[in-house]
Amino acid sequence: MSAFVIIYYAILLAVSCLAAYFNQRTIFLAAFSLTLVSFVLGIVGGVPALRFVAISAVVLGAAAMISFAFREFLIVLAPKELAKELRTAPLTAAFGMFVIFTYAVAAILAPWIAPYGEAQVVTSAFAPPDSNFLLGADQLGRDMFSRLVYGTRNSVGLALTATTAAFILGASAGLLAATKGGWLDQILGRIADVIMSIPSLIFALLMLSIFGPSVTVIICAVAIIYAPRVFRLTRAVAGNVVVMDYIEAAKLRGEGTFYLIRREILPNSTAPLIAEYGLEFCFVFLLVAGLSFLGLGIQPPTADWGSMVRENATLISFGEITPLIPAAAIALLTVGVNFVVDWMLFRSSGLKEQ
Amino acid sequence: MSKKDVLLKIRNLKIQGYSNETWVDIIKGVDLTLHRGEVMGLIGESGAGKSTIGAAAMGYARDGTRITEDSTIEFDGMELTTATEEERRALRGSRIAYVAQSAAASFNPAHKLIDQHTEAPLQYRIKKRMEAQEDAVDLYRRLRLPNPEEIGFRYPHQVSGGQLQRAMTAMAMSCRPDLIIFDEPTTALDVTTQIEVLAAIRDIVDQFNTAALYITHDLAVVAQMADTIKVLLKGEEVEEAPTAQMLDNPKEDYTKSLWAVRSFTSPQRYRPTDGTPPLISVKNVDASYTGGEKVLDDVSFDIYEGMTVAVVGESGSGKSTTARVITGLLPPSKGEVLFKGEPFPPDYRQRSREELRQCQMIYQMADTALNPKVRISEIIGRPAQFYSGLRGVKLKNRVDELLDLIELEPSQYYNRYPPELSGGQKQRIGIARALAAEPTFIVCDEVTSALDQLVAEGILRLLDRLQDELKLAYMFITHDLATVRSIADEVVVMQHGKVVEQGPKEEMFTPPHHPYTDLLLSSVPEMDPNWLTTLLEERGVDNVGDAALAQISPDDEKVAGTKV
Repeated sequence: MSAFVIIYYAILLAVSCLAAYFNQRTIFLAAFSLTLVSFVLGIVGGVPALRFVAISAVVLGAAAMISFAFREFLIVLAPKELAKELRTAPLTAAFGMFVIFTYAVAAILAPWIAPYGEAQVVTSAFAPPDSNFLLGADQLGRDMFSRLVYGTRNSVGLALTATTAAFILGASAGLLAATKGGWLDQILGRIADVIMSIPSLIFALLMLSIFGPSVTVIICAVAIIYAPRVFRLTRAVAGNVVVMDYIEAAKLRGEGTFYLIRREILPNSTAPLIAEYGLEFCFVFLLVAGLSFLGLGIQPPTADWGSMVRENATLISFGEITPLIPAAAIALLTVGVNFVVDWMLFRSSGLKEQ
Repeated sequence: MSKKDVLLKIRNLKIQGYSNETWVDIIKGVDLTLHRGEVMGLIGESGAGKSTIGAAAMGYARDGTRITEDSTIEFDGMELTTATEEERRALRGSRIAYVAQSAAASFNPAHKLIDQHTEAPLQYRIKKRMEAQEDAVDLYRRLRLPNPEEIGFRYPHQVSGGQLQRAMTAMAMSCRPDLIIFDEPTTALDVTTQIEVLAAIRDIVDQFNTAALYITHDLAVVAQMADTIKVLLKGEEVEEAPTAQMLDNPKEDYTKSLWAVRSFTSPQRYRPTDGTPPLISVKNVDASYTGGEKVLDDVSFDIYEGMTVAVVGESGSGKSTTARVITGLLPPSKGEVLFKGEPFPPDYRQRSREELRQCQMIYQMADTALNPKVRISEIIGRPAQFYSGLRGVKLKNRVDELLDLIELEPSQYYNRYPPELSGGQKQRIGIARALAAEPTFIVCDEVTSALDQLVAEGILRLLDRLQDELKLAYMFITHDLATVRSIADEVVVMQHGKVVEQGPKEEMFTPPHHPYTDLLLSSVPEMDPNWLTTLLEERGVDNVGDAALAQISPDDEKVAGTKV
C-alpha cells in the first residue's frame, strides 16, 4: 500500500468525520459514499483508478474555487445594479464567465501571449513537448501552443461574426414579421421554412464548393443557415409583446415601425434573445469547426482549431493526445457558454421566483 | 353541533414574504375566530392581505412566503401550522374548500365539469362515482343552474362565466366541507350575473350550515353575504363587527372613509345650446371583426366638448368596440365618425398627426398599457416630443408639469420604471401620457375597474378636475354604475351592440327606464344588508341574471321607442 492510498483514505475519512461533527448532511453523504465507492474502485482498478478520482476531485475543486474567486472579483468591479444580479449567479455560470473571459484575453492578446508566430516553423515535425514548446509541435514543426492561442482569435472571431450576422438577419426579419404581420409575415415565414428544410451541413458544403472557401462565404453561409431559427424565436417573442396595450397606444400615437421595434418591442424581448445568442454561438462554433475539419473552413496556414484537429489526427494512433487539445478547447468554450446561457434562461424565464 | 362551536381559530397570524433579501411581514398579527355556519367577510384594498389570510386558513402559504412559528391556526381542534403536509392535504377539498376569483381560469379546460366535480369525493373515498354524480346534479339544481341534469357533462368553455362560478361553488360543496373560502367570487362578473351567483352562494351556505370566509373589496357585496365583517389594512386588522353594526356605525376612520367613497359626484354639465357641432359624433356605425358577426349595430351618439359621456353595458355589449371604431383601430363597415362636424378617416393609419393627437386613450389595465422597460420620463415625454417637437429642457419642464398635474412628485418619479409603481400610480401615468398629447377628447376604457375603491375615487376626482381645467371631453366606458353616477353627464346604455337608451344622467337615473337599464340599475348591490333579500322577493328567485334578460319583452313601450 503506497503513501498515496493512505493519504487518500485519511483525507476522505477526516472530511466525513468533520462533516458529521458539524452536522453538514450533504457533505457527509458525499464524502462517505465516495469513501465506500473508493474501496470498490481501489480493489478493481488499483492505485491508478484512485489517482484518477483524486485528480478529478482536485480539478473540480480548483474550478470551483476559481469560479468563486472570479465571481467575487466581478461583484467588486461591477456597478451596483449588475453586482446584485451577479450575486445570484451560480458557480457554474461564474465558471462559464471565467472561461469566456480567458478566451477573450487569449484572442485579444494573442501576439503577446504566443511565443512564436502562427505559421512559423520552429522545430521538427511532431516534436514532443518540452520547456520551449509547451504542447509540442504539429505535423510541420509549428508550435502547438502558439497556434492554439492564435486559433482562439480566428475560430472564435469567425463564429462570433457569423452568429452576429445570423442574428441581425433573423432578428430584424422576425421583428418586422411580428410588427407588420399579414403577407410580409407569411412570406418571411415560408422563406424560413424553405431554408430550414435543407440539411445545414450540406447547404454549407454546397455554398463553399460553389463560391470557394473564403471567410466571407463562410460567414454568409452560416448566417443564412442559422437566421431562420433566430427568426422563429424573435417572431414568437415579439408576437407576445405586440399585442400589449402600450404597443396599441404607440400605434395610435402615429409612431413608425422602426420606433415601435426599437423602443417598445426590443427592450421587452432582449432576455430570451441574448440567451438564444449564446446557444446559437455554440452551434455556429461547432459547425465552423466541422467545416474546418473537412478542409472547407479557414484555409491554412491560418491557425484554426477545427483544422488543427484534422492535421494532427494521425497522432491519435500513437496514443498521443495532441490532436485532442484543440478539440478540448472547443468543448470547454461550448460548455462555458452554455453554463452562462443556462443562468440567463433561468433568470428570464422567471423560474427564480418559485 | 351548535352554531356557536368555534371552527377556525387564528391567533397572532404573521406571514412573511421574501423580498430584497430580507423577510418582510405581509400579515402583521391577525386574530380571527369563525364559528360553524358563520360567514365572515374580509374586506380591504388589494395588498391588504385578504387572500393571504384566506390561504392561511387552509394552512397554506404561497411560494416565497412563510407563516411564522409563533402564529397558530386551529381548525376544528387541529393545529395546522405544526401539522404535516399530508395531514393538511387531507383537509383540503374534503373539509376546507376554496372558490377562486376566476372560475374560467381555475377549471381545467380539458375535462368535463362533472369529472372535476367528483374528483375530490372519489379521491377521499367518500362516495362512489355514480353517487357523486347524482349528488353533483342535486347541487347544480340547488344552485339553480339551467339543465342541472346535463350541464355537468359540458366542458368549461361551453358554460357562461356566471354559471361556471356557480359550478365551482357546487364543486367546493361536493364533500360537504365545514369551511369554504370564497376569494372574490363575483369580481369578474357583470352586475346582472353577479346577483345570481350571490343568491346561489348565500342559499347553499345557509342550507348546509357551512362556515365561509368571503373575501372581496366590494362593500355592498359583503353586506349581503356576511354575518360579520372584518376590515383589513396593510396586513393589520382595522376592526371587526357584525354586519348591521358595522354598516350603521363604523368606529375607525379608515372604515368610515371606505364607506364614504361613493359620495363623490361631479356637477351635471349640459350640451351647448348655440349650435356648435359635437366634438365627436358617431353616426349609424356598424362594425364587425374579420369574418365575424356584427358586433355593433347602428350605433349613434354625440359627445360635446368638455362633457363626459358614459357608455354602459355588460361585457360583450360592444362598448370597447365602439371605442376602437372612434380611435380608428377598427374601421366601421358602415357609418362614420365625425370630428367637429368633419368626417374622421376611418383607419388610424390614414389620420394625420394632428388628428391622432386630438383623440387619446386611457386603458383598463395600466400594467399592460405602460411599457415596463421604459422610464416614466420617456413614457410621458414621448407624446410631447412626438407631437409638439419639444426637446431638452423644454421637454423636461413639460414632463414635470404633467407629473404635477397628476399629483405625483416629479423628482421622485422621473427616472422610475412602471413596475416600481402601484396600480393607482400607474393609472395616473397613463392619464399623463394621454394628456401629454394635449388632446380634446379622451377615451377612458374601464379605467377604474382594476383599482381599489379609494384609489379609483382619487382617479375619478383627478379626471374631473382635469376636465374642468383643460376642457376635455371623455368617453367613459364602464360597467360600474356607481362610477357613472359620480362622473357622467350623459349616459349611453348598450346591449348586444345596440344603443338601447341614451340621455342626460339626471333623466337616465329617474324612472321610467328602459327595461334593460332598469335591470342594470336594480342589479347594482347596495349597502343595505337586506337589499339582496328584498330584491329576490320582488323579482322572484328564478328571475335574476340571464332569466331576467330573456324576459325583456320586445313590445315594451320604451324598447319600441329606441328601435326607431
